[in-house]
Amino acid sequence: MISIDCYAYSNNLKTVHPVEKSLFATISMIVCLMSPTIITPLIVLAAMAGGIVCTAGIPARVFLKLMVVPLSFLLISVLTIVFSIAPNPLGFWLTFTFNGLNVGIRYPDLITGVHLLLRSLGAVSCLYFLALTTPITELITILNKMKVPVIITELMVLIYRFIFVFLETATTIRRAQLCRSGYVSVKSSYRSLSRLFTALLGNVFVKSQELYNSMVARCYSGEIKVLTKKYPVSLRNYFMITGFELFLILLNLAGGR
Amino acid sequence: MSEVILEAVDLEYSYPDGTNALRRINLQVKNGEKLAILGSNGAGKSTLFMQFNGIFRPNSGCIKYQGQNISYKTKALIELRKKVGIVFQDPDSQLFSASVFQDISFGPLNLGLSEEVVTDRVKQALRDTETTDLEDKPTHLLSYGQKKRVSIAGVLAMEPDVIIFDEPTAGLDPRHSQEFMQLLEDLSMKGKTIILSTHDVDLAYSWSDRVAIMSKGEIIAQGEPGEVFMRTEIVKRADLILPWLIEMHSELVKKGWISPSSPMPKTREELLRNLPVKSDILGYPRQEVI
Repeated sequence: MISIDCYAYSNNLKTVHPVEKSLFATISMIVCLMSPTIITPLIVLAAMAGGIVCTAGIPARVFLKLMVVPLSFLLISVLTIVFSIAPNPLGFWLTFTFNGLNVGIRYPDLITGVHLLLRSLGAVSCLYFLALTTPITELITILNKMKVPVIITELMVLIYRFIFVFLETATTIRRAQLCRSGYVSVKSSYRSLSRLFTALLGNVFVKSQELYNSMVARCYSGEIKVLTKKYPVSLRNYFMITGFELFLILLNLAGGR
Repeated sequence: MSEVILEAVDLEYSYPDGTNALRRINLQVKNGEKLAILGSNGAGKSTLFMQFNGIFRPNSGCIKYQGQNISYKTKALIELRKKVGIVFQDPDSQLFSASVFQDISFGPLNLGLSEEVVTDRVKQALRDTETTDLEDKPTHLLSYGQKKRVSIAGVLAMEPDVIIFDEPTAGLDPRHSQEFMQLLEDLSMKGKTIILSTHDVDLAYSWSDRVAIMSKGEIIAQGEPGEVFMRTEIVKRADLILPWLIEMHSELVKKGWISPSSPMPKTREELLRNLPVKSDILGYPRQEVI
């Protein structure tokens, strides 16, 4: 979580216009999800992996670790699709027989499973591309431009900021508890944890009041107006994105026939 | 220069829970001056600051800005806050955005300025606080001192006439603390009125034109730093200590190293300059250094 956030601010693509990165990631994701073949997801996966590791300069180890997270969920769900149980071994591509029941793989199911796995992985890699190269603050600005209700984007701004403030507070409190032998037994763990939450809750109220005061001191009058840094718009990037996506869409259309 | 810009008249304030925070505060802040407010923790310094730009409303008495009672209508308050800016003590409760650039642009945008002007002001504030290289970093990856400087930039960008700093040097290392004092000096040269609160008596003594000492919600002394700090009983009552320059000076006078008529040094350099060479005191000629 936190490391994704750090990379978003320090990767080689941080100077690229956030709209370009978002378009690239979201359109690729949609095209990948709609793909009737496994070729498009494979290309998307390769493009995103290349983008994340080679262009953005994020260590391959980090990217692989992140990809393993959805992979474990995916494998479980894909296995249930691929394997079927039937009394009749007819139509199975591969079977094992237990007590007269056939557990096996039907060929079309295998294709569906692999297809699903690759499509999901491709889509996830698009999301990772966006998350690893674009800071949340920039994404919120884009949402703002897309006319998402202000209440939502403002909440996102504040929540995102205060995740870190409270995380830091919680870490400090926990450390102080550990220093005074908190969490030594199950019972004391429960007690320590409850104290931690109580302290944090109190903190939330104090901090929110202080934040409000300091915002009012800077002429806050109900709407959080901020200016975002301007990024250079690159026509070259737009051409490249359009070209890439058109190629994928054509590939999809060709595969669908 | 000597006109009063901000004034508290018979100010009384108690918190909703009944804590008596301010008691009959009378304080005048002159245009362009450097005022230090000293006091121990809980003396009411921060509460007083919140009165100065209308965040808290006094129970009785009033705040005057340029001779006029301040109004607590929304529009008037916004006008007041354009002129009187506060940098809060805890930068974590002032920085609301994870983006340094966005956070600094918040204040000036609220003043209704155009985007170009705001961008220029943000850039200037970043330069003034030496935070230009932090522009692209998220606030949660900054160190305490860096956050503090960004929160100062957020107020500087609004270009207020009066800037109030609540414990500005608390938590800063000596180098940044010194740089901050330099920044204050620059702001002061530009004609800004600066009020700061601190427990650091040495800083208050050397920097300020005037000091006010608060204790338990009252101002127990105010005036030129040289005079106020001579009143040892006041300093003790406010749970403060004497500036080391004054202590050193009086000790040197007492033991005969410096003549009692020599002026009270305002800085370390002045004190060292006034110190005579040993031989001049003991009466025999100075030995030549080979």
